[in-house]
Amino acid sequence: MAEFVEDTQPLHPDYPLPDVDDPVMRPFWDGARDGRLMQQRDRLTGAVVWPPKPLYCKGGDRFEWFEASGKGRIYTWVVAHEPFLPAMRHLLPHIMVVVDLAEGARIVGHMVGCTPEAMRFDMPVRVVFKRLTERVTLPVWRPER
Amino acid sequence: MSDGLDRDLFRRIQDKVAVVGIGHLPFAKDIGRPISDTAVEAIQLALNDAGLEGEDVDGMSMLEMEATHEVSIARRLGVRQLTWWDKISYGGGASSATLMHAAAAVASGLATVVTCHRARNRGSRASRPWSQERVLVRDDKALHTPWGLIRPVDVIGMWAHRHMHEYGTTREHLGNVAIAARRHAQRNPFAMMRGRPLDMDTYLAGRVIGYPLTFYDCCLETDGALACVVTSVERARDLRQKPVLIHSVAQASGPNPVHLANYNNSPGMETTSRWCAELLWKRSLLGPRDMGCAQIYDAFTPLVVMGLEDYGFCKRGEGGPFTEGGRIEIGGTLPVLTSGGGLSEAYVHGFNLLLEGVRQIRGTSVNQVPECAATLVTGASGVATSAVVLRGQ
Repeated sequence: MAEFVEDTQPLHPDYPLPDVDDPVMRPFWDGARDGRLMQQRDRLTGAVVWPPKPLYCKGGDRFEWFEASGKGRIYTWVVAHEPFLPAMRHLLPHIMVVVDLAEGARIVGHMVGCTPEAMRFDMPVRVVFKRLTERVTLPVWRPER
Repeated sequence: MSDGLDRDLFRRIQDKVAVVGIGHLPFAKDIGRPISDTAVEAIQLALNDAGLEGEDVDGMSMLEMEATHEVSIARRLGVRQLTWWDKISYGGGASSATLMHAAAAVASGLATVVTCHRARNRGSRASRPWSQERVLVRDDKALHTPWGLIRPVDVIGMWAHRHMHEYGTTREHLGNVAIAARRHAQRNPFAMMRGRPLDMDTYLAGRVIGYPLTFYDCCLETDGALACVVTSVERARDLRQKPVLIHSVAQASGPNPVHLANYNNSPGMETTSRWCAELLWKRSLLGPRDMGCAQIYDAFTPLVVMGLEDYGFCKRGEGGPFTEGGRIEIGGTLPVLTSGGGLSEAYVHGFNLLLEGVRQIRGTSVNQVPECAATLVTGASGVATSAVVLRGQ
């Protein structure tokens, strides 16, 4: 069962919300809203394609979206301090991560339920879903228990 | 050639086109003028330096992420007619690229005298990156900014942190870069950090901006306008300055690139500079050992450590130790950022590094490397980038 989390503060008007109607990225954002981490792969080779490609490009009929395991490892991270964007200032110190997904892609995210002191390279993490608005849900990461 | 590179074709550009004029306005925290205005004066200064007039110019290549117009700049300069122009984006990646495009235009006969410039106002707080995020985030930005990864210091910090983990790069190594740049700036009358020396204790005590990077790892925020003038070596013979030849030049995005949070180039998360360097040295008759000094793009100190590796001055992972023992300072085997760079002279998307490269070949730098026959100037690692090898005649 997917785990959903809420932000601790109401959404700031200047929050950099993604365009979830982007034709290429829409399956990713639709999936996140339903608590599923979606990835794109080549159905013949099984190779994960990230960032995803439009289906009209050469060989695009071979691409398919699938639900990833939601497991990954921390490849690298940073901990932001002031000055930070006002929409996320309440999150400081804010741990942003690059995660190597079990399926092979490398994606950007941020941690929840973790202190800077607890962070380790190659640490196992699992996806949780942070609802920002009715339409926008962010896949974020929590240490694997 | 088996690598698919047509070297004969590049020979039509190599050493056939020269930088013949440079100019810039004094750098400032608040220059008080729009870039549509400062660009014109910077180009005028470069034309004066070359001994050319506005009416000699027919081409313009600018590093641009705002909205100034070639035609308006050209009109104010007294250009009769522009017959070739282009704009190159990608911020710190693009300074050397303006020279590449200009060189191609001159070598092919599409233009005869091309100005290259960057004017940028970034000193004031109103220009913080998130002030542009009032609308929905689209395209590549949607892959990172919704999680808060928007400050360049954090984008680069991701690389730096992994590099420290994998290769044992230390805070002191990064400090060596900051201190070298600051030391070089002390002799530069235009450097924003002149009169403000930096030692290792102060460096290490800098406040954390985005762990693992701290205050002194970050470049300045500066208003500035800089330009150079490019023409054929034949034309250069009649001009005022010793011509500085464009020997090799390259642009590269790396494979599977993402704008800014570009972590998908390779399994080892190498930066775009690795691919730019590969092409640059293939086109070049010179190699890293022939460089008298190097202006390695320095929005943040780890970019210099990684750039030393990417451009072949040392092996991967050895960029940290390479900074030790004064090696990258004046008097060392490879002085870097001899004007102070983005860390201590001015941060203008690296265009100041280009001008310093020209001065080193002319022999007019305030930190002149003796008998500097060739030098490397690079753009930002991380974004789609560019680099150039300049040499004397």
